[in-house]
Amino acid sequence: MDTVFQILSDELKAAFRGGVDEPWSDERFGDLAARVFEYQLDTNQVYANYCRKRGSMAAAYSDWESIPPVPTSGFKVVPLVSGDAASVERVFRTSGTTSGGVSRGEHHVPDLDLYRASLVPNLEKHLYGGDPLRLLALVPSPEEAPESSLSFMLGEALDMLSDGDGEFFVGANLGLDVGGLRVAIETACTEDQPVLLAGTAFALVHWLDATAETGLSFELPTGSRILETGGFKGRSRVLSRPEFYEALSTALGVPASRIVNEYGMTELLSQFYEPVLSDPPDPEDPAVGALDQRAHFAPPWMRTRVLDPVSLAPLPVGEEGLLCHYDLANLGSVMGVLTEDLGTLDAKGGLRVFGRVDGAEPRGCSLAMDDLLSGVV
Amino acid sequence: MERTPFDAACFPGGFEPEAQWEDLEAEPGVAVRYPVLDDRAWTELIENLRVSGEALKERPVRELVDSIGRAAERLLDPEDSLRGEALNWLVPTAGLSAEMADLVLTGMAKDWTSDRLTELLEREFRVPEVLDEFRVLDSGRKLHAVGSDLSFHVGAGTVPGVSVSSMIRSLLVKSAVLLKPGRGDVVLPVVFARALAQVDAGLGRAVAVVYWPGGRSPAEALALRESSVVVAYGGGESVAALRDRTPVTSRFLAYHHRVSVGLIGRDALSGANARQTASAAALAVSTFDQRGCVSPHVLYVEAGGSTTAKEWAGVLAEAMGELENAIPGGRLTPEEASLLHQSRGAAEMQEASGDEVAVHIGDRGSWTVIYQESSAFTLSCQNRVIYVKPVPDLDDVPQLLADVGPHLQTVALSGATDRRQYLATVLGRTGVTRVTSFEGAPWPPPWWHHDGASVFAGLVSWVDLEDE
Repeated sequence: MDTVFQILSDELKAAFRGGVDEPWSDERFGDLAARVFEYQLDTNQVYANYCRKRGSMAAAYSDWESIPPVPTSGFKVVPLVSGDAASVERVFRTSGTTSGGVSRGEHHVPDLDLYRASLVPNLEKHLYGGDPLRLLALVPSPEEAPESSLSFMLGEALDMLSDGDGEFFVGANLGLDVGGLRVAIETACTEDQPVLLAGTAFALVHWLDATAETGLSFELPTGSRILETGGFKGRSRVLSRPEFYEALSTALGVPASRIVNEYGMTELLSQFYEPVLSDPPDPEDPAVGALDQRAHFAPPWMRTRVLDPVSLAPLPVGEEGLLCHYDLANLGSVMGVLTEDLGTLDAKGGLRVFGRVDGAEPRGCSLAMDDLLSGVV
Repeated sequence: MERTPFDAACFPGGFEPEAQWEDLEAEPGVAVRYPVLDDRAWTELIENLRVSGEALKERPVRELVDSIGRAAERLLDPEDSLRGEALNWLVPTAGLSAEMADLVLTGMAKDWTSDRLTELLEREFRVPEVLDEFRVLDSGRKLHAVGSDLSFHVGAGTVPGVSVSSMIRSLLVKSAVLLKPGRGDVVLPVVFARALAQVDAGLGRAVAVVYWPGGRSPAEALALRESSVVVAYGGGESVAALRDRTPVTSRFLAYHHRVSVGLIGRDALSGANARQTASAAALAVSTFDQRGCVSPHVLYVEAGGSTTAKEWAGVLAEAMGELENAIPGGRLTPEEASLLHQSRGAAEMQEASGDEVAVHIGDRGSWTVIYQESSAFTLSCQNRVIYVKPVPDLDDVPQLLADVGPHLQTVALSGATDRRQYLATVLGRTGVTRVTSFEGAPWPPPWWHHDGASVFAGLVSWVDLEDE
């Protein structure tokens, strides 16, 4: 790693250690963003060429919102490394098929410590809150799935927040160890050890389905909580969010108010969480418990723009558009990422993500993307 | 400004069910509404259609052609209020520009005129009266072609008017039609059904057009059960789901999604030729904003001409720009716009990384030409995003298309005059069912073998009357 990277990375780590409680001023975020952008232009030739074609060079920098984002598809076609490619410590890959020319997105990460510095305080704030939790993870372990950013994240949670107390219950082949998880839950109940049950929504549904067949249900120790993420991705039956949380509550004795959704993506090293544990809603508020009232929040080192889907011009607060995130933890790749997600941002910075499909019927009569993705091609 | 919603339904004359109407937003401030019928109303509707279908059987086919043709003339007449209404609603419901809506309606409706339909029947049946009665055809066989009493058509909603062509095919064989159009194609079938009812009450009684959202519903189950012919357009999943629920005794005609490509021979790449080819290709790509099964996704350009593929991509970009001025692209949904940004972004990142890629994007952004040296077939996200790829020889193309074979449809071929038949033969073996020009690509004639089969195959049953 070059010196400039090291200096910036150290400065970011120190800033991240300040935690996620206090929002950053525009000036503080903007200053760091300007320096990260300048570093990325200097050291990432592909990104620099991309920006040049848009007439956006450092000289044209006015504020972080003028930094050209790279669409998530860009991560599929070129390695996006800012700095020395030889110093990349890990390549994380998006899930999904590699057949038929649909390649997986790659996030090249030169400094895993910077990744850790971002994810740990965020997880600590929104899930652990200083409590000693046993981690029961419904993802493969980081050793079995070194390319999975979610496995990496939960591996860090296990080491740094659960003191090594916990286990992974999905194999490298994505098989779920239903019996092993049941035993671990029973043990936690016997020991009265609160747990963090964390996994992809589809893995949780698989486990719920397998458990339903046995007729068993559990009452996890008080203080237990659930982290779910990633949606169903066509890999399990699809439940509405209320149905899903109701089923989790019934099977595990964890109320919906202690179930947290994470919104993250391989292309971003920082994550969004719903602050239902860290900042519980006022119990007098009639909207409490309404899942559709929930919003996600970013750590102060990540900001989001909501853009008009066609023109990519910024939209006023509250209007629905494409989400474009700027994550300072992405120092070693590119900071601005244009997603395919539609959502809104409220005045308090609360993000609501509506997903990639609005239920409308596609208009294309020619071959559709889903046919391609389903491996027909 | 709010407009009164467009009724995405046209019931047979004399049938006036009680219905709740639900609104669907087409674009901000503009809605279409669809009726929600109870089970009894659906049963009555289908019974009505069946009776009207039986009445059609007693009428000479040429009389039906004449009536259908007169309905079509109304949609072609610039003075006719029905054409005005159709154009007015096509823009918000199909997401097309006014200029494109005009082009599409004219292009579609000219094939619904009595001349064209007569030619279709004569080409397909030789003696159209074989639909009326037994006729002696080849080598003395006595034949009669009989349409089903009721056919159920499910449209895709991509290209406005496709479902009208489908409806007309069934009416020509004297079958009553229940048509569920796709969401982007609600206007033309409804307007056409109303025109039919005005010119010919009997035909009007034999057609129902009803939109409803989503797939499985009691109405759909009833329609599948009661129709002896089911014609389904759409994506693989939705067509397969309909097929699974169609009784084994019914005919099922599947028109799943298709893709098309263009081929440019080296002899079509000299100066003026290159520009002419580019103009024709730009129109073929941009018509229907590239949402048609006939719309090319990739243009393969042969090496050895006086313009290289990379240079020609620039010529094409100019032509796309000129066309954009004349016939602008339509309104994109957020999902379509997102796909467009992702497609462009991926190509621009390739370009930025020094790959042999060149990306041309229009000023107003409604078109994109992506030159890629990699000759592998690439699926466009539609909406005027076209890939241009070099090939050493057009002979290499069939192999490049092998993986998409089951989805192939049209090849637009420019140049290669001396190899046309040979290329069509090898392309046909990969799954291509139509080789044409760029000019012809968007507008297959009524008698084309739609996805490789006669358009009446499956719509009629042949009755053989053998000697005593």
